[in-house]
Amino acid sequence: MRSRRLLRRRILWMALGGLGLLLVLPAAAPAQEEVTSSIRRYKERETSTGYYEEYEAKPRRMRSFVGVPGVLRPSFPYSPKAAEIRIRTYLADSHRGVNFYEMRTCVECHAEEARNIHSTRGNITCRQCHGSEPIASIAHYYSPLNPVRRHAYVCSKCHEGSDASFATYVVHEPKPGSLETRKTFPSLFYANWFMYLLIVGTLGFFVLHTTVWVSKELYHVFTEKERKPEDE
Amino acid sequence: MNDQVRIIRFKVIHRLFHLFIMVTFLIQAVTGLGRLLYPTTWGKALTNFFGGYESISTIHIRVGVVMLLGFGVHIVYILLKVEWKALRQSLFHPDSLLPRPRDAIHLGQQVRWFFGLGPPPAFDRWTYWEKFDYWAVFWGMPLLGVTGLLLIYPLFTSYFMPGWVLNVTLLLHRAEALLAMLYIFIIHFTVGHFRHGMFPMNECMFAGSVELEEVRREKPLWIVRLEDEGKLADAMIPAPAPWFRVAYFIFGYLALAMGLYLLLILLIYRNYVEWH
Repeated sequence: MRSRRLLRRRILWMALGGLGLLLVLPAAAPAQEEVTSSIRRYKERETSTGYYEEYEAKPRRMRSFVGVPGVLRPSFPYSPKAAEIRIRTYLADSHRGVNFYEMRTCVECHAEEARNIHSTRGNITCRQCHGSEPIASIAHYYSPLNPVRRHAYVCSKCHEGSDASFATYVVHEPKPGSLETRKTFPSLFYANWFMYLLIVGTLGFFVLHTTVWVSKELYHVFTEKERKPEDE
Repeated sequence: MNDQVRIIRFKVIHRLFHLFIMVTFLIQAVTGLGRLLYPTTWGKALTNFFGGYESISTIHIRVGVVMLLGFGVHIVYILLKVEWKALRQSLFHPDSLLPRPRDAIHLGQQVRWFFGLGPPPAFDRWTYWEKFDYWAVFWGMPLLGVTGLLLIYPLFTSYFMPGWVLNVTLLLHRAEALLAMLYIFIIHFTVGHFRHGMFPMNECMFAGSVELEEVRREKPLWIVRLEDEGKLADAMIPAPAPWFRVAYFIFGYLALAMGLYLLLILLIYRNYVEWH
């Protein structure tokens, strides 16, 4: 009996001691993560020149000269002027052909884009995400903002541990009420109109209701005051 | 005031719930507007007063969590209050806040009365606009709470749903908060403070009791019901102490002033109020 009680007590003390150790000892896993996390490595890429030329697969240069309507553009589809500009979302230098580019600022053309939470709240500048000159189009295959690597190259500079799902957050939101948004971001469009109708409906009804009510009561006050001297 | 006959309308716990939502709502309104209007000088000044953008956000988040806990307590209270054995009767009793078909009839009668086409409706304990006030908060709390919780840890949220959900979430949070503020600062304040019958203040939410004569005029069916059930004598309580009256008048008017000030700010900076 006695030895069993001793054993029980020992187990109890060991459990308590183990709990104490858990509190005192540093957790092993996060420290290791700091060294091996690929995101940490990516965060230093801006100082390591030519880093991803070495490790990433380049797309093949050649493409067919045959155009497929609606799918593949032919090789020389543009007028000489249009060819300078092309479709900007695929250019290595998205501002190619913009006159006096060096003399202008981003917000001169992209005024709406500057009104986003990252700029107004976090004081983030355009170049902190879009990179330095030449600024690649976001769909260009080397662009840090290309959706395939956006989360690792841009988002995770501040939001550690972000992945592709996180990066689908739309920083430059479209105007939620416009019909264009119904195609590009339907859930935002419908949420916006739902809330809009809810606000206008609720406030519209109750503002009318309260206004009529208050004036009705005031009307009663005044008419009763007028009546009283007559009754006397 | 002391020789009036007063009957009880809100128990202490009901008044505590109202006080709780009042204080937390105003804190959320101030800190939330500080964040929303951060690009303006007013927003920057207010944010600095709270110790910067990070700190005002922390206050907003923590008070929001407290608010949600309070909402949870309220739900537990309701679940304890419902008589489960006589559920139907308990839910649709005139003392219950659940909307009934009669509320729609009352609304119709009230509108007719507005235009002098009939007598005012005979209300029971809760009028339809009081029920709307209650359910508006009941709908707003989960919406603001859930969207707020999703926005606290955007990274964690994005593990379970795509990141663009946060765009929608932020829009919903802001739009619902704007609706709540506008509704409280315009409609609720007018009905509670500025109506002819109420001015300078509808005291029953603080004092807990209402003058019997006033109730007989505004909610006749309730008194009739109390008389029929023989509960009228039990419902009578003494008037609130003068010091207590002074205290809640000061508190109530401070809250009113704060709300109207925020409303003014919303009007002044309306061009900066974006819900996306």
